[in-house]
Amino acid sequence: MVLGGLLAYPIYQLGLISVFHYTQAQVSGGEPTTFEGFGNYSALFSDGQFWEVLLATVVFAAACVVSTLAVGCALAVLLTRVRAVPRLALMLAALGAWATPAITGSTVWLFLFDADFGPVNRVLGLGDHSWTYGRFSAFLLVLLEVVWCSFPFVMVTVYAGIRAVPAEVLEAAALDGASQWRIWRSVLAPMLRPILVVVTIQSVIWDFKVFTQIYVMTGGGGIAGQNLVLNVYAYQKAFASSQYSLGAAIGVVMLLILLAVTLVYLRLLRRQGEEL
Amino acid sequence: MKLSVRMVAVAAVLATAACAPQTSGNSSSDKDEKTGTLRVWLFQEVNNRPKEQVVDSVLADFEKEHEGTEVTVEYIPVETRAQRIKAAFNDPKSAPDLIEYGNTDTAGYVKDGGLADVTADFGAWGEAKDTDPTARQSVTVGGKIYGVPYFVGVRALYYRTDVFEELGLDVPKTQEELISTAKEIRAARPELYGLAVGGAYTYGAMPFIWAHGGELATGKGGSYAAAIDSVAARKGIEAYTSLFGDDNCPAAKCAAMTGNDTITAFAAGKAAMAIGGDFSHAAVEAGKVKGRYAVVPLPGLKAGSIAPAFAGGNNLGVLKSTTHRTLAVDLMKRLASKEAQGELFEAMGFLPTFSDVREQVAAKEAFVKPFVATLAADTKFVPASPAWAQIDAGQVLPTMFQEVVSGKKDVDAAAADAAKKMNDAFGSVG
Amino acid sequence: MSLVRQDVESRVNLLRRFTRRPGRTAAEVTALVVAAVVAFPLYWMVLSAFKPAGEIRGEPRPWTLAPTLDSFRRVFGQQDFGRYFLNSVVVAVAVVIASAFIAFLAATAVTRFRFRLRTTLLIMFLVAQMVPVEALTIPLFFVMRDLGQLNTLWSLILPHIAFSLPFAIWMLRGFVKGVPEALEEAAYMDGASRARFLWQILFPLVLPGLVATSVFSFISAWNDFLFAKSFIISDISQSTLPMALLVFYKPDDPDWGGVMAASTVMTIPVLVFFVLVQRRLVSGLGGAVKD
Repeated sequence: MVLGGLLAYPIYQLGLISVFHYTQAQVSGGEPTTFEGFGNYSALFSDGQFWEVLLATVVFAAACVVSTLAVGCALAVLLTRVRAVPRLALMLAALGAWATPAITGSTVWLFLFDADFGPVNRVLGLGDHSWTYGRFSAFLLVLLEVVWCSFPFVMVTVYAGIRAVPAEVLEAAALDGASQWRIWRSVLAPMLRPILVVVTIQSVIWDFKVFTQIYVMTGGGGIAGQNLVLNVYAYQKAFASSQYSLGAAIGVVMLLILLAVTLVYLRLLRRQGEEL
Repeated sequence: MKLSVRMVAVAAVLATAACAPQTSGNSSSDKDEKTGTLRVWLFQEVNNRPKEQVVDSVLADFEKEHEGTEVTVEYIPVETRAQRIKAAFNDPKSAPDLIEYGNTDTAGYVKDGGLADVTADFGAWGEAKDTDPTARQSVTVGGKIYGVPYFVGVRALYYRTDVFEELGLDVPKTQEELISTAKEIRAARPELYGLAVGGAYTYGAMPFIWAHGGELATGKGGSYAAAIDSVAARKGIEAYTSLFGDDNCPAAKCAAMTGNDTITAFAAGKAAMAIGGDFSHAAVEAGKVKGRYAVVPLPGLKAGSIAPAFAGGNNLGVLKSTTHRTLAVDLMKRLASKEAQGELFEAMGFLPTFSDVREQVAAKEAFVKPFVATLAADTKFVPASPAWAQIDAGQVLPTMFQEVVSGKKDVDAAAADAAKKMNDAFGSVG
Repeated sequence: MSLVRQDVESRVNLLRRFTRRPGRTAAEVTALVVAAVVAFPLYWMVLSAFKPAGEIRGEPRPWTLAPTLDSFRRVFGQQDFGRYFLNSVVVAVAVVIASAFIAFLAATAVTRFRFRLRTTLLIMFLVAQMVPVEALTIPLFFVMRDLGQLNTLWSLILPHIAFSLPFAIWMLRGFVKGVPEALEEAAYMDGASRARFLWQILFPLVLPGLVATSVFSFISAWNDFLFAKSFIISDISQSTLPMALLVFYKPDDPDWGGVMAASTVMTIPVLVFFVLVQRRLVSGLGGAVKD
């Protein structure tokens, strides 16, 4: 209950803050708090950049989710097919990637792909090609880093799920001589559905809210803001300058979008006749 | 569409809710105790030990002078300052009495209601008369003074002596020569950037704008208006952005660079010139170019003139919520005294904020001469408005430069957009 | 219990057969190559930590001729570094244990008992994660202040438990569901009490899931910057490790060697934690039923 309160109360406050004029000056009592109604929201919606950023965020997050899930699931299946040593090697490498603080991981990736001092360009013979100049290539670079640091979560979770699949099921499939892909498609995936659902939802939430990677790797949103995503936008517009009410409004919008995505996703699953 | 119904319902509940979000009512304290514990927050440097020694010797004298007082110092990472200091404003119980803060944050903290007005104390302080004008400006908001300058940081032109010698070049004396020399070097040595510049390097770009007589914004006190789109400022933007291109610093690489990136390039021997701070000295010394470079003030428009530079640095300030105001002010003055600043320079290389002390240290340390000369010529400061935090965080100026160098907009359009964003920010803080 | 053992045995046999199929060499080579690619950025991080300051951003050589411990010295030389480390361990361990325990019970409850609004409740658990964390720090700050927990490790432990629980519950639910109901009935027929079923039968069976969620909550608590810098304000002795890393991110003049060394130091305990628990992940069912 306490923990529930710890989550619910801030959300309630968030909604409240978003309809007031609330900056650091109000928080620390320097100025009175004034009611603004939907002022923060209309300021947000009338900003053309907001819609552009929203679109980029949705597309980028979708690409991240799909790539992460694909890589994570493929490697989880791979893990079940190898002996202890390669399995431990892959797991440790993945855990290392997962455990590295995002701020450092992003920095290292940036160093690796640096135009002047990066080994990647040397190895690929790309000369001094800059990865962060083009909008698309900068997003691609960030996507690689995001996949690098978030596939381990999917891999470990799905792997744990596979280990818990009841024996008879796998046995039957193996006896049928089904291929790896078929076993995954028609046996494992349905059995793992509850886990895949939560992993998907979690990934959607995280990738929609990606911040550190974009902030560090594209220098706070890329050339002239071309790589901005919603969370970085929120930071620049609101949190960095303590405009909490505008930040809260962005937060509420993000919440509603993610909630809608989650509900639609669950509805679709249910329509397919799958119980959660 | 159950969702939207629910949303409206929630909104309705919130709209009618009588209660407002929480605030902390951090008014200034009436108490002014003369004994007890004084808490101080200073920034933690990467190599903090020498700084601690300087501070400790000041504290020892202070505690001897004021019997029954004790001072505890906490060194906080610079990266955590925003959350920490805001939290201190929110929870006076956790708040220190005295803090070190970045000088561009002054106006914001004043607006937040966190810093105490020390105008009278500053005026009564004997040493204050030697504080250089820009440093004084950096603690001043709306004519009142909210702290004392602790040290300054300023940028100048680093150049490779070996490259200049090899190509038979002279050190540029005007901005025009600087640009042409940079391109000359690039033509002769295509593996080098002539002058390393960065689209995200605002403080490196400002001298170009200021040298042409432009300003970021004009105004006093609470009301500022953007001036970045003035004719003079646009000339400066034009000059700075002309350095991005295959003939000096290719846009593909340099548009995204920060100040630190340009210094990294210089230190690694990838650039013949760079605009770096006195604080960049150690990084350059650790690099490949050690012993093969020199520093001069960044030239202005006329031969022999120095382009106005941005005077960064840190200040000390007393918190409004302190219960030991007199003691805290006294300690602040001692920590920022001429003597302590001189010691801080010897320990950390931070430039003193007093013109006379600065001259003395320049006589002793050759490498600070060009920086001291720059400070003595003309320095400028960012608008003393809380909106600056918004403009800075919103990357208004980097976006403007990047729009120009990536060919997305011309100078006029980019500057007009930036001016609009700046005015929005100035307007929103009232 | 016989039913359980039978299930486990057949499963182990099957897995053995499942893994002993042609193409294993190819699979193992792939796994090793992927591991190498994934580990390369980590190698670069460790390498940079050992490089002398001027070399980190210079020629991209994948080795260094002058390895130095200077960067590590700057990390360990920080005031109270040992204390930070200990605090981080306390927070992470407390979060892992508490969230695993609560999540296990809660997951069993939402799976085995049906009640109205169950899905709604599960979704509500996730809502808090859907907003930017920065937006929640101010309200949470006031909660912590009113609870009098600012500047204590509780101000980190409580929010982290709250934030890692939703995933843990969702995740374990899948595992609890995977345990056949027949098993539960069999256990009760054997005369097991509900508590006994929960702890001696169900618990071992969902252990792989618990391990996965523990790794998750451990890492998210271990690597947190935002709460640590927002709620631990005036008592530096309560700071955690990420604060020792942030020291090196100085605007204008970052110390990359220090950043890489501090990150290396931070990553190692996570790997140790994982090595300690990974046997449970791999052989969760093999070692499930001991009595």
